[in-house]
Amino acid sequence: MSSKRHSTAPPPPKPPTQFSSTSSLIIADAASLIGTHLISLSSNTIIHPRTKLISTYAPITVGSNCILSERATIGLQSEPSEGLSQGVVIADYVVVEVGARVEAKSVGEGCIIEVNSKIGKGAVLGKHCKIGPMCVVAENEELADYTVVYGNGMQRVDRSGVEHLKFKMIARQVDVLRKLIPGNLPKFINRT
Amino acid sequence: MANFTPYTYFQCPCADSVLPTRNISSDSPSAASGTSDQDERTFDPRAPRSNYSLYPLEHLLYCEDCHQIRCPRCVLDEIVTHYCPNCLFEVPNSIVKSEGTRCTRSCFQCPICIAPLSVSAVEPQPEGHGVADTAHVGQYVLNCAYCLWSSKDIGVYFDKPNAISAQLARIKNGGGQVITPRDRRKDREGRTREASMGPSLDDDGVQEDDGPKLDPNEVLDPEGQFSNLKSFYQSQIAEASPTSALGFTGGDYGYGSPGALSRIMGIYTGGTFADKKVKSKKANFREARDALEGLQIVDLASDADAIKKLQENRWQGTTSLEQRAEQLSEAPFVSDLRPLAYVLRTKRSKRCKTCRHILSKPESKVQTTRFRIRLVALNYIPAITIRPLQPLAPTQRSLLTPRKAVQFLLTFKNPLFENVKVSIATPAHTPGRFKSKVTVLCPQFEVGANTDAWEEALREGGKGAGGEKRRTKAEAHEGQNQAEAGQVWEQGRNWVSVVVEVIPPSIRMDAPDFVKTEEHKNDEGPLREDEDVVEIPAFVRVEWEADAAQDDDTGNLASMREKDGREKRELAYWCVLGLGRIARE
Repeated sequence: MSSKRHSTAPPPPKPPTQFSSTSSLIIADAASLIGTHLISLSSNTIIHPRTKLISTYAPITVGSNCILSERATIGLQSEPSEGLSQGVVIADYVVVEVGARVEAKSVGEGCIIEVNSKIGKGAVLGKHCKIGPMCVVAENEELADYTVVYGNGMQRVDRSGVEHLKFKMIARQVDVLRKLIPGNLPKFINRT
Repeated sequence: MANFTPYTYFQCPCADSVLPTRNISSDSPSAASGTSDQDERTFDPRAPRSNYSLYPLEHLLYCEDCHQIRCPRCVLDEIVTHYCPNCLFEVPNSIVKSEGTRCTRSCFQCPICIAPLSVSAVEPQPEGHGVADTAHVGQYVLNCAYCLWSSKDIGVYFDKPNAISAQLARIKNGGGQVITPRDRRKDREGRTREASMGPSLDDDGVQEDDGPKLDPNEVLDPEGQFSNLKSFYQSQIAEASPTSALGFTGGDYGYGSPGALSRIMGIYTGGTFADKKVKSKKANFREARDALEGLQIVDLASDADAIKKLQENRWQGTTSLEQRAEQLSEAPFVSDLRPLAYVLRTKRSKRCKTCRHILSKPESKVQTTRFRIRLVALNYIPAITIRPLQPLAPTQRSLLTPRKAVQFLLTFKNPLFENVKVSIATPAHTPGRFKSKVTVLCPQFEVGANTDAWEEALREGGKGAGGEKRRTKAEAHEGQNQAEAGQVWEQGRNWVSVVVEVIPPSIRMDAPDFVKTEEHKNDEGPLREDEDVVEIPAFVRVEWEADAAQDDDTGNLASMREKDGREKRELAYWCVLGLGRIARE
C-alpha cells in the first residue's frame, strides 16, 4: 500500500540520536523516530516495527534491555510544562507493550506497561511497577515502587520479590527478538 | 438523551392465568364482572404486572404440544450437567453433592482481581542436568498474571503442581496445617474411647490416636467450629434420647434426618404421636465447654491485633467489599484472602410446566454448544421489526414530535413453512395518562411461507419472485409516501410490511384541562420513568394450516381437524411495540 501512495512532501527531518552501542541495539526498519530533540537509546534494547518515538517537544532516553512494542508511542505529545524539559526517561528492563502511550517523566527499572495503557504527562513510575492493560496513570501521578495498577484504576503493592526472575525473562525475550526482528540501525543514526 | 431503538416485546399467556386472584376478597358480582373483563380488556404495557410477562421474542420458547408460547416463568429448569467454566471438566452429580458447587481440581480465581490463577514454580525449572537435587518442599505457588498476586503473599506453597484444591484445603494462610475433619473425628473418637474405657487403658488410646493432638484452646476457623459444634450436639442428642422419634437409635440422626424432620413438622401441624414422647423426655443438654466441642470465646486481644494490623498495613492491607463478598469466611485483611475455587456452571434443559414436554435440551457434553431439542418461539411466531417510514436525516433527533402524525413500518417475517394469515388489533388510543392515537392501515394480511429462497426463484424462471412488492427509492420520493389503507406497503417471499400511523400526545404536565385525558386529571403526579415512550399494545392473531399431528384432539383447543389431514391452527397473543420517545416541549 505504501508503495502506491508516495508522499510528495519531503520526509521529516531525522531527530538527533545517540546510541550507546551499535551492535546490540535493534531498531526495526518500520519504526519511526521523529522530532527534533535528542533520542538516546542504550544497548540490548529492541524497538519493534511501527513503534513511534516522538521527540518533537522533549528528548527521550531509553535504558538498556528494554522492549518497545508495536504501535507504542513514547514521548511527549504536547508542549512540556516546567520541570519536564528532560522529557521521557525510561530506565533499564522496561517492557512497553503494544499500543501503550507513554508520556511519563520517568519510568523506573523493570516496569511493565501493558497493552493500550496510557501514562500521563509528568507521571513518575517507581521501580518494578506494572500498569495493567487499558489502565491509565494520570498526569503528574507518582507511583511508588512495586505498584500494580489493574482493573478499574485499582492499585496494589506487589511484594513477591521475583524481580531477578523477571530480568532473566526479559533478557531471554530480548535474545529471541534480536533474532526475529531485522534491525536497520544505520537508517536512524544522525549524530549532531 | 440517548438514541431510542424501537423494540417489540411479546406477552406470555401464563400471566393471564394468575390475574383474577386479586378480586377474591371483594364481593361476588363485581369479582365476576372483573374476571370476565380480563379477557376483553386491552393489555396495558405499563401496568406493574406487565413487567413480568413481557419478553423479547428471543427469550421465548414454544411448546409444540400445548401450542403456546412459553416464557422463562412457565418452564421448569433441569440441570443436565455441572461443569467448571475454567477447565470444562464435567463434574458428576455425586461429587457436586459431597464437595459442593466449586471446582475440585486446580481451577482458582485470584482473590484480588478474580482473574484465573496459574500454578508456577517458585524457582525456575533448572535447565539440563541437576534436576533431581533441587526438589525441595514448597516449590509451587498460585500466580495471577493480571495483578501479580501470588499465594506467596498469604504464605501458601504447594508441593505438587496438580490437585491444588486438595492441597489448599490442608494449608492455612501463613503455611500452617489445617486440621481436617477426618483428623478431628479421629481425635474425638479417641477421646470418647478414653472416657468410656477409663484411665487404666490410657496408653492404648494414645497409641491409636496418631493424628495431631488437638489443643482445647485452639482458635478454630468457621468450618472447624461448625463441625465441632455439630458433632458435639449430635452426641448430646444421642445421649439425651437414646431412641429417636421413629425408634431409631444412635446419634447419626441429627436434625437433618427424616425422623427429626417429621417431628419438627409435627410441631407445626399439631402432630400426634411423636411429641409426647419427646416432651416426656426432657432433654438435659450440656453446653459446649472448649474448642474441641466448638466453643469459641471472643478474644478481646484479637480486636487489638486487628487495630494494630490496620495501623501497620493501612488501607492497602484491607480488602474491598467485593473481595470480601467472594470469600467463604470473614477476610478483613489482604493476608486473610484465600484463592477462590471456580464456581461450577450448569447446562439446563427446559420443560413445559403444563405438559412436561422438553422444550430445550442442550448436548450434555460441555464442549459442544449444540442443542438436541430447541423449540424457540423464533421458529414459530412471526418476528416483528419496526422502522420509521420516512428515514430520519442523520442530523435529526430521533424523538417524536407531539401532535404530528408519524408513520412506522411493521415488518412481519414468517418462520413457518406455511402461509400465515395475520391480523393485528390495537386500541385506538394507547392506555395510560398520555394517549397516542394509533391506526394500523392494514390490519389483516397474509404472509408467504418460509420456503427455500432458491426454489422460488427457479420456479419463476427469472421473472423475479412472485408477489414481490418493493418500493424503490424513486417511488418513495415521488409523493408515493402516502400509504393507502387496506394495502400492504411492501412484501416479499416470507415477509410483509404494513404501515402504522401514530399521533403522539403532548406530554406537558401543565396543559390546560380540556386537553388532558381522564387518567391525567385523576393523577397529576410528575412524569414517570419512560412515560414519554410511545408503547402500543397490539393483539396479534396468527392463523395457518398445518399437517395434523398424530396425537391430536387432546387438549388442543386451537385446532380444527379438516378432511385432508390438514388442520387449522391459530395463535393469538399480545405484544408491545415500542416506537419512540416523545420530544418535550
